[in-house]
Amino acid sequence: MRLFRLLSLAALALATPALAADPIKIGLSGPFTGGSSSMGVSMRDGVKLAVSEINAAGGVLGRPIELVERDDEAKNELGVQIAQELINKESVVATVGYINTGVALASQRFYQEAEIPVMNNVATGSIVTKQFAGGDNKANYIFRNAANDAIQSRMIAEEAIKRQGFKKPAILADATNYGQLGKTDLTNALQKLGVTPVATEKFNTGDTDMTAQLLRAKEAGADVILTYAIGPELAQIANGMAKLGWKVPMVGSWTLSMASFIDTAGANGDGAMMPQTFIQVPTTPKRKAFIEAYQKAYKIDRIPSPVSAAQGYDSIYLLAAAISQAKDTDGRKIREALESLNTKIEGVVTTYDHPYSATDHEAISDNIPVFGLVKGGRVVPAHPEDLEGDKAMRVKPKA
Amino acid sequence: MQIFMQLIVSGLSVGMIYGVIAFGYQLTFGTSRTLNFGQGEALMLGSLVGLTTVNFLIGQSLGTLTAYLLMLPIVLVFGAAQGAVVEWLGVRQALRAKSDAGWIMATIALGIIFKNLAENVWGRDALKFPSPLPEASLSFGGVRIQPMEIAIVIGAIVLMTAVEVFNRFSIYGKAVVATSNDRDAAGLMGINTSRVITLSYALSSMSAAFAGVLVAPVTLTGASMGAVLGLKAFAVAIIGGLSSGLGVVVGGLILGITETLTGYYLSTGYKDVPGLVLLLVVLSVKPAGLFGKAAIKKV
Repeated sequence: MRLFRLLSLAALALATPALAADPIKIGLSGPFTGGSSSMGVSMRDGVKLAVSEINAAGGVLGRPIELVERDDEAKNELGVQIAQELINKESVVATVGYINTGVALASQRFYQEAEIPVMNNVATGSIVTKQFAGGDNKANYIFRNAANDAIQSRMIAEEAIKRQGFKKPAILADATNYGQLGKTDLTNALQKLGVTPVATEKFNTGDTDMTAQLLRAKEAGADVILTYAIGPELAQIANGMAKLGWKVPMVGSWTLSMASFIDTAGANGDGAMMPQTFIQVPTTPKRKAFIEAYQKAYKIDRIPSPVSAAQGYDSIYLLAAAISQAKDTDGRKIREALESLNTKIEGVVTTYDHPYSATDHEAISDNIPVFGLVKGGRVVPAHPEDLEGDKAMRVKPKA
Repeated sequence: MQIFMQLIVSGLSVGMIYGVIAFGYQLTFGTSRTLNFGQGEALMLGSLVGLTTVNFLIGQSLGTLTAYLLMLPIVLVFGAAQGAVVEWLGVRQALRAKSDAGWIMATIALGIIFKNLAENVWGRDALKFPSPLPEASLSFGGVRIQPMEIAIVIGAIVLMTAVEVFNRFSIYGKAVVATSNDRDAAGLMGINTSRVITLSYALSSMSAAFAGVLVAPVTLTGASMGAVLGLKAFAVAIIGGLSSGLGVVVGGLILGITETLTGYYLSTGYKDVPGLVLLLVVLSVKPAGLFGKAAIKKV
């Protein structure tokens, strides 16, 4: 009996080197059902597209990438469970994803402790990449390739006040963390331009009547509405304005590009503007190839959330480049490689040239996003001249 | 003045919806002294079944208004059946065992099951319900109203009147009233009270399902729409008094109008506060509700 056990142990030991050809496991966490699922599903599909391309070209370090997908349903507690499962049971080398800032903040501490990198490809809360920066932390394992709320609120303020020349903005934000943190960012950004909002209104998710909020904004003489909320309530705002027979432009965070806003607001939503890192328009060869590959793989015409799809796609290429450079799947080495990427990566959103450093974990800078505009059920560039010629490819300035 | 009227009008249509749902609470409380805590879910299921039916009928190249009107009886029957199922699975056993809290747990549990079921069938996204009436609003001296908001108020009044007429003039309705007044005495007079309770649950969920299809074209529909509305209506039922049909309607209007008025004149951040304050005041001053009859507990 003992001999048998020894033999089986030996067999196990012999089998170990063969593991080298095993797939590299990458975790994927996002809401694939629920209110933010249009973003989650597009992000997942972008990620899967990148993985299948990389695997078809021979994988990374000669090993294929294997995705371990989990639906976090935009719930913090579920995100935490998934993080523990991916780290301890699935032994992923890195995780990409997170749509919701709350889920990211609750879950990523487990990765930080396990020294496994996280690539946030959609969540926008300004604090996400700073949760473990500095202080007692030796290193920060949290990276992002999405435009954070500080960038977005600066852009919204500049667009509404400077470019469009509005003087009396009203802020409408929902009562969630997303809305209230965004409202603070927006107020600060407006203050820098010397403007105080004429009204700052709040509503709960699930609210069905926006009359009081809109009347207050209207009576305060607002000439533009700045929003920080998600799809269904944004649609209530647009529909509520139509009901009151009052139409001023809506400029807001990128959630104005959500399918649940565009589809439920219908014609009332036309003209809404929001910052976008990617608009479904083939302005570069890479973008053209990406849009065509996505449409072919998923047999659809309109990508539900083009920003999420593009950022999901890019996040895998960033990670794959780091693993190749590290020549290892150890979390620490991948982090070091990400912080000193020495290959230029041509992505859909931008060309990543040294996107991260030890102190800067944000790949997207102020100059990269452009404004999108809802028109006939799609998001189109608000200022097509911003994407003409050389300006189509906007690159993060060197530090 | 114009703004004030606009706020009152919006408050009225929101309040009427609260009222119809609370009316459902009042129906079952009358006969069995129990409530369906899954009332919000009954509303949600009604509106989703309505959505599927309407979309199917529109697919048969019917107009939206025709499809909507044809859908109403189907949803009413579905709502009644759903209510009967709730009573049968959740309430009957608890009443038979004279359990004080069994029906609370059972109706909450059934509500959760219905919500999960709806999430699996219809997904978790908010869905748009095709509006049977034009969406452009009408202007009355500067006060703007959507045709559907008028339909909500009229529809709610029609439904509640119909149920009241049924209760007062039909033999089944009289059995309901008799059971509400004194269940034991009604039983001794030969009324099958357990069947009456099933009937009251059917009527209750039917009015919730009807409220669901009334409100859906103005708001959105989806598996999670019941939670907020069900809770608000519960507050309304307490304010108005669980034993009075008129009370819950007035309670609904009071809550709906206070919400919009506070939102405008005070702050939109405190919109929900006065309703809750009112709830606490009513509970401490007149625990049976504004229109409720004080219960005399004989020992």
